[in-house]
Amino acid sequence: MKKNILTGILGIVSALVVGLIILFIQGYPAVESYRQLFNYSILSRFSFFSTLAKAAPLILTGLSAAVGFGSNVVNLGQVGQLLIGAMSVTVVGLFINLPAVIMIPILLLTAVISGALYSGLAAYLRVKFNMDEFITTLMLNFVAQYFTLYLITGPLIDKEMNSPMTQQINSSGWLPMLNSLETTIFISIIISLLIYFIWHNTKMGYEWKVMGSNNTFALFGGVKIDKNYVRVMLISGALAGLAGAMLIMGGLQHRFLKGIGANYGWDGVMTAVVANNSIIGTVIYGLFFAVLQTGSMGMELETAVPSEFVLILQAITVLFVVASRKSAYLLLNKMSIILKIRQLRSGGEPEENELDD
Amino acid sequence: MNLMIELIRSTFLAAVPILLASLGGTYTYYADIFNIAMEGMLLIGAFAAVLGSYFSGSWLIGLLAGVSGGILAAIIFTLFAVYLKTDEFVTGIALNLFALGATTYLLRQIFSVKGAFTSSDIIALPDWHIPIIDKIPIIGELLSGYPFLLYISFLIAILVEFHIFKTRFGLRLRATGEDDSTVDSVGINSDLIKSKAILLSGALSGLGGVFLSLAYVNMFAENMSNGRGWIALAVIILTRGRPIGLLFMALLFGFFDGLGFALQNTFIPSQFTQMVPYLATLAALYFYSKQKKEKIKEELEDESMAV
Amino acid sequence: MVEALIEIDSLVKIYPPSTIAVKDFDLKINTGEIHSVIGENGAGKSTLMKMIYGLTERSSGKIKINNRDVKFTSPQQAVKYGIGMVHQEFMLIPSYTVFENIILGVEPTSKLGIIEKKEAEKKIKDLIKQYNFNLKLKSKISEISVAAQQKVEILKLLYRDVDVLILDEPTAVLTPQEIEDLFLRLKKLRYEGRTIIFISHKLDEVLELSDVITVMRKGEKITTLENNNLGKAELAKAMVGRDVIFSIDKTKANLGDVIFSAVNLNYKDANGIQQLEDVSLQINSGEILGVAGVEGNGQYELVRAISGLLDLDYGEIKIKNKNIEDLDILKRRREMAYVTQDRKFMGSAQDLNLMENSIMTHHRLNDELSYYHPVLLSKSASIKFADNLINKFKVISESSKQPISSLSGGNQQRLIVGREFMLSDQFIMLDNPTRGLDVGSIEFIQEEIINKRDKGAAVLLVSADLDELFSLADRLLVMHSGKVVFNTDTARTNKEEIGQYMLGAEMSDSA
Repeated sequence: MKKNILTGILGIVSALVVGLIILFIQGYPAVESYRQLFNYSILSRFSFFSTLAKAAPLILTGLSAAVGFGSNVVNLGQVGQLLIGAMSVTVVGLFINLPAVIMIPILLLTAVISGALYSGLAAYLRVKFNMDEFITTLMLNFVAQYFTLYLITGPLIDKEMNSPMTQQINSSGWLPMLNSLETTIFISIIISLLIYFIWHNTKMGYEWKVMGSNNTFALFGGVKIDKNYVRVMLISGALAGLAGAMLIMGGLQHRFLKGIGANYGWDGVMTAVVANNSIIGTVIYGLFFAVLQTGSMGMELETAVPSEFVLILQAITVLFVVASRKSAYLLLNKMSIILKIRQLRSGGEPEENELDD
Repeated sequence: MNLMIELIRSTFLAAVPILLASLGGTYTYYADIFNIAMEGMLLIGAFAAVLGSYFSGSWLIGLLAGVSGGILAAIIFTLFAVYLKTDEFVTGIALNLFALGATTYLLRQIFSVKGAFTSSDIIALPDWHIPIIDKIPIIGELLSGYPFLLYISFLIAILVEFHIFKTRFGLRLRATGEDDSTVDSVGINSDLIKSKAILLSGALSGLGGVFLSLAYVNMFAENMSNGRGWIALAVIILTRGRPIGLLFMALLFGFFDGLGFALQNTFIPSQFTQMVPYLATLAALYFYSKQKKEKIKEELEDESMAV
Repeated sequence: MVEALIEIDSLVKIYPPSTIAVKDFDLKINTGEIHSVIGENGAGKSTLMKMIYGLTERSSGKIKINNRDVKFTSPQQAVKYGIGMVHQEFMLIPSYTVFENIILGVEPTSKLGIIEKKEAEKKIKDLIKQYNFNLKLKSKISEISVAAQQKVEILKLLYRDVDVLILDEPTAVLTPQEIEDLFLRLKKLRYEGRTIIFISHKLDEVLELSDVITVMRKGEKITTLENNNLGKAELAKAMVGRDVIFSIDKTKANLGDVIFSAVNLNYKDANGIQQLEDVSLQINSGEILGVAGVEGNGQYELVRAISGLLDLDYGEIKIKNKNIEDLDILKRRREMAYVTQDRKFMGSAQDLNLMENSIMTHHRLNDELSYYHPVLLSKSASIKFADNLINKFKVISESSKQPISSLSGGNQQRLIVGREFMLSDQFIMLDNPTRGLDVGSIEFIQEEIINKRDKGAAVLLVSADLDELFSLADRLLVMHSGKVVFNTDTARTNKEEIGQYMLGAEMSDSA
């Protein structure tokens, strides 16, 4: 745990330094750009609230990937499941109008179920026909992309608009604001706690963890792999679907626009990966990436650095954090060997030294 | 008749990027490297090709730049996955995101556009009109007049087959994939073999990117690889990495791509026709898995025994 | 005095973080001798050899060959100096042919990098003839026997024309007859002037074969002795560091009712090979049934069929008169303890901690691990359970929260065996439970097995180690090509006879 925090910080700092160098080489005011990046993401109440709004769906797609990867289930379909979730919420929100207390839960449930059904399709293909989920979920991403695009350019198009999008959903389905803070973040945090509880305090969570570490051991120990696999897949899809709901029910647009949620899917995968599939880590890195993404707008505004710069910064962060986790380990080993030899040469007593041949 | 010829021509054209990326991925497949970075390598290759061609006014520089771009991506992959022992899956994910981010960023930074960049200054790869055959009706239309890289990529498929199955490098490559500690024990540096495999996959995927942006179309668009790297990966799994098999599978996917294109002007909405290659991948995977199901189950059971 | 061929001076190897595998080791090996290095599992023999061979980096110390300091960073350099090694776990590519495996790394090629077969084939064929190896160049490694694979390994070295052959535990996988054959071949090689370093922990073999014996214990050299009139007990004491009892105290079996029975088990794998053919066996309460056989003759399939990991084509399995062949794995695990053959890949999750490795299977069967509601898993109860297990089975560890990978092999296996033994008292299935362990752990686990038997459990013990089978089993089965070819009381047979059956020699006239 302590080591993860250390290598995490090390990785983030070195990625930021590399970013700084890139900016500097390209002739941007590097330090000022960074200052603006944080200025627009955490240094004022408004900017911090925007960051939290950004983090809400990101944490959910991150958890979707983390629960999957941590259980040896390679769901890469967050993009598709998010789109299907968002689209289902839109459709229900367009055609049904009930009081908010009923409407909001119905919409959330719609997203959860539709996301789970879409990932469930991949799970079905795996369990029934042994089709690798890692390819099927990827392909289903593209199918979902084109399908939702069809809906918003055809049957559901808002004809008064210039670009493809639906009309706004009924306002009873909008999530309320709390002093200009979006309530989506509360949903994400509640869900994170729930997932944490399942992961650490239930038999099912234990079995998932073992599957993630060694599937064969789980199988030999009597864990029902297929059943757990399907469960993980459904939950993973439900989380991504819920992230889709956040995009429609939160924010200002309340409609399905072309290109909605474009980055959230893969950013979720990235978040889980950099957090090494830990639930708490996913929440923390989710917040961190949200800071970068929110701040990038400020950076573009103030110092003209294209906001896409943070995409590079994020990728570098992933590589550096993961690599430093490994390198720190190797480095520590090297050091301990040197110390041990010194101890040996000075006549110190060796400890127990059994090992496998 | 004309429609048929169009369909066949577009089949060939659409097949090439997938073919080149999957040929690259074959090397890493045999080295047992989980390489999911072809998507990013294609993208970087495509961008670098446009960059090179636009600024030099030469398609050759564009081609070299594209290949170098792919190799650059491969170097990053090698550095992290082979030498820093970072997880291959993680490295691949990060590299793909890096490719998307870097090309989008540079597109704005260098060309000051968002979305796509077109210009008459981007010099496309020249076509090759095969002497004599070019003059024969129909056959000439079917076989001649493609970008020359298309012919070369078919030739590369044969060369890769030969390289992997008949040469010393191939023998060592496949051995590395099966058991790298054995390879190390006979005094071959398996990390070096893996690095070479990744670099080759980068070069070939980069070449695929060149075809995409300097031959298939003549422009660069954000995320223009659009899943071709993933399809290439599926193709490799489906053919178990046999280059000649890859050639046929790539053509099949080219056909579906072209079919989607041809159906565009019918009553079917274009979004559905664009789904065709991805649905075709799922269908191919379905037939493959159905056939292999028993076998794979058995392998899974035995997997742990083989250690 | 003759100058030594290989001279090792205060060699040290430390595995991170601080395991001393080899400590200040000195050794001299002379040309033309068979020099055995003995020590129990985990003594550091393999590590020592891998350093000589350039496969493992030394932490400090010197190695001289022909009086020249060397520091190999790759086995290729060792081969250049004429040193070759046959590893305990064979270094062969299973899908490659014998020929391809032999030339791998020294491929004869044309200028374009294309492999030229002709000359190499001739050279290898000559070697096969010269040493009477009886191998076909085109056979796939995965399709030949373990003994044949070992011949390929030796052939690999001869093809590279090495002067020094290091063999790491070469007899572990062989039947008594095959061992005989190997020793003849090694003596022939010495006669030709080659040097052989022979690694083993089996004293009888070492005494039969070697000219010089070096004893190693816990990474240190204890002594080097000329092999004339050496006693086994004396060597054993040097090796283990205390007196060793060669036989285990075991009372006569006190048989009860039939606990376990299997009738006509049949299984054909996906390649159409009949892995189990009409296998029938039964075990009574208070009895240990040993299963012998060359690896890959259906023992693993038998174990998997019983535990539910593989679907039989036909057959009936009963525990206490209850049919279990259609039950799922978890339901079967209610009735049996099962120690798998491979602790890292089947018996544990190496990234997880001792607690998480202790409660597997129990988490579904033991209500005490739950609280409030059966879906919940109690952390405190799990830790208590693990601590109890750790105490009872003497697992040396600091806390139940440390990862299992931080324990030595012996301690890992104690935890695994403990976990399984706490599951069932009636039927216990063990697949090579002591392979690769230190003597202390072997003794401990074997005693626990006998305790279980004496308490009335029926025990099925599959083992590749004939010594273990003979010291533990009350009755022995031999499997060959998926069939039970021999079935006898242990007291009425001997290793040679069992060896014959393992090779499939006398299938017709079984007792």
